[in-house]
Amino acid sequence: MLEIGIVHYLIVAAALFVTGVFGIFLNRSNVILILMSIELILLSVTINLVTFSHFLHDLTGQVFAMLILTIAAAEAAIGLAILMTYFRKKGSIDVTEINIMKG
Amino acid sequence: MIVEAIVFYMFSTILLLSGIMVISARNPVHSVLFLILGFFNAAGLFVLLGAEFLAMILVIVYVGAVAVLFLFVVMMLNVDMSRMRDNLKKNMTVAAVVGFVLLGELVWIFSNWHFSEDAELNVQTPFSAEDAMDNTRALGEVMYTDYMLFFQMAGLVLLVAMIGAITLTLRHRPGVKRQKINEQVNRQVKDVLRVEQVESGSGIV
Amino acid sequence: MYSLADFYFHATAALPEIVLTVFGMIILLFGLVREDKSTPQVTLMTVSAFAVTALVIAAMPSEPFKGFMGSFIYDPFAQFMKLLVLMGGAACLAMTLSYNTQEKINRFEFPVLALFSTVGMMFIISANDLMLAYVGLELMSLPLYVLVSIRRDFLRSSEAGIKYFVLGALASGMILYGISLIYGFSGTINFTRLSETLALQDGVSITLSFGLIMLICGVAFKLSAVPFHMWTPDVYEGAPTSVTAFLAIAPKTAVFALLARILFDGFGDMTAQWQDVIWIIAAASMIVGAFAAIPQTSIKRLLAYSTIGHMGYALVGMTAASFDGVRSMIVYMALYMVMNIGVFAIVLMLRQNDRQTTDIDNLSGLGKTHPVVALMMTVLMFSMAGIPPLAGFFGKLFVFQAAVSAELYGLAVLGVLTSVVAAYYYLRIIKIMYFEEPIHVLDKPTRDLEVISGIATIFVVAFILFPQSLVNAAQAAATALVTI
Repeated sequence: MLEIGIVHYLIVAAALFVTGVFGIFLNRSNVILILMSIELILLSVTINLVTFSHFLHDLTGQVFAMLILTIAAAEAAIGLAILMTYFRKKGSIDVTEINIMKG
Repeated sequence: MIVEAIVFYMFSTILLLSGIMVISARNPVHSVLFLILGFFNAAGLFVLLGAEFLAMILVIVYVGAVAVLFLFVVMMLNVDMSRMRDNLKKNMTVAAVVGFVLLGELVWIFSNWHFSEDAELNVQTPFSAEDAMDNTRALGEVMYTDYMLFFQMAGLVLLVAMIGAITLTLRHRPGVKRQKINEQVNRQVKDVLRVEQVESGSGIV
Repeated sequence: MYSLADFYFHATAALPEIVLTVFGMIILLFGLVREDKSTPQVTLMTVSAFAVTALVIAAMPSEPFKGFMGSFIYDPFAQFMKLLVLMGGAACLAMTLSYNTQEKINRFEFPVLALFSTVGMMFIISANDLMLAYVGLELMSLPLYVLVSIRRDFLRSSEAGIKYFVLGALASGMILYGISLIYGFSGTINFTRLSETLALQDGVSITLSFGLIMLICGVAFKLSAVPFHMWTPDVYEGAPTSVTAFLAIAPKTAVFALLARILFDGFGDMTAQWQDVIWIIAAASMIVGAFAAIPQTSIKRLLAYSTIGHMGYALVGMTAASFDGVRSMIVYMALYMVMNIGVFAIVLMLRQNDRQTTDIDNLSGLGKTHPVVALMMTVLMFSMAGIPPLAGFFGKLFVFQAAVSAELYGLAVLGVLTSVVAAYYYLRIIKIMYFEEPIHVLDKPTRDLEVISGIATIFVVAFILFPQSLVNAAQAAATALVTI
């Protein structure tokens, strides 16, 4: 219990991943919270990669984690831009109101 | 050893709790703030794992840019959340079942974790813990050589994101006066200055 | 670690991507200076950039070559798939010219974003490691999210954008988590080393299977295969039709190439595990594609379900996990692309009082009012339904042959049955065109769309004369991927 090994980190990352997935299911109507849940999922992947990088003594995992951070930032920018156009037109970001189109 | 364990449990507990708060806070501004708290604690875990550079990047890029971008948007949209929370209970059971099954599976997989026998041989860019080279330098040495292609591609992704965000949100409003740099730079003396010979006593018409 | 000279050496493998990227930057600057009024020129420049890149690819030697620490691979398979993607992308952009002007979305960023998306597709076709696969997928998807929601004054477009973005980001999250597990277990993300590791492994690791399944699920989302297809009809309907055409044609081919690389190059030794997963996805896609399309009233939604079905048929070739399977899959994707170019060119023509119409009922009487368009549509619909002797029939025939020779009789029978069901809704369109009285008269179609659709139709009809040349090209490509 006091010896912190790879399993500890992996379980923390797994719990964070599940929190993110849970958040998407829970807030299906709120796009902003969905975007934040996706950030949580990406953070959990980053923790996974850094953990493996540490225990394998391999820098690849850290480089990958850095790429994920960069691309996640780009993704967030685009997601928020799309959300802005939607909000300007509609005046709300409630996705449950999206019923022009069928599911 | 004890200190490391205490620090690990502290960071990971706060990280997971703030993760839960992100998805369940009533006010979206609070969600963003908890997200920031989570990022800070994840950065702490990175430091424990010896990835200092990533920890700093996480704080600077994520907290400094991405989370603040979220904060801007949340405040700008000024969304009424209370109404959206109504259907929260409805989704709760399904989400809980999915979540716990997934978590159970993952914990089961990880609880007897072992690497493949060849994992050590497969390592692409090894670094040794005994090396005096610090993490930032080690990353820098591979980032612009071995991983040059990815570095360039990340730049391309950021360019695309910039074009995309501008395409979607920039609007030219009519009637707004803008600086016309081209005209300013091309302004010539002869266009704006006129030298007149004035006869004495007649004045300028 | 290597020097700059090494970098130049490796960069020759990625020459087509570099050429296209440089063209993209130049075109972007040109558009910035000349602003939106230059969109037709920008579009034509982009199409010519695609053509130049295709020439570069065709001129490159076809020996396999790995660069950038083995993460980038250039081989005949990559060559063939990249040519397909460039051809599809160029055709789609050429189709946007008149449509985007009519719909007032003629912004110069449109072709530029499509170009960068194509660069991403070319990278994922050449990906020999999971990192390049991920970055390429993002480079492909991010411009697509923007293109889908590019019509800012149109609520449906933004809605489709949100839906596509959220589900796409979730899929990338799944792909990434899968990749992290694969990396953690094996210590590598390179397909070549991964297959070496797997070959030595006795027994199957549960971690690796879990990672692979998450990876396949994420990729299946990008392919819009069942059960990850929910976004397809809405996004196809909400996006401007020119974007829908691009979305249906270019990315699918590229993602198929990536899936083939992952499954054959990386996880060739875990065939028994992934075969079942792909079997289920293929069967479900064929069934949903056939039955869910029947009640549709919008031609764009109908084509969305048709795409889902076609993805199922192409995946049948993948399920066979054999040389024949891969070859038939490549042929199928090539024919799918040509048929869709033709059909979407016709859908772009359907205008009424200068507005796009997507209602299938508005096609009524097309046989009388626009006989040439109706004839082309008929041929293309017959081909999509897989009726001999048109090209679509051969695509299905090869795929089912591969399935039978791999002893996947159930899948082959299911494929034939669902094609019969799918034929119903393709034929219904023909019935509406010829046997119902015209309700509204459609506008006169523009010449360029007629030409593109005409070329596709001629190809579909004439394919029976030269099926062997396409099969031979696919054979060379498949040989590079699957070694028998």
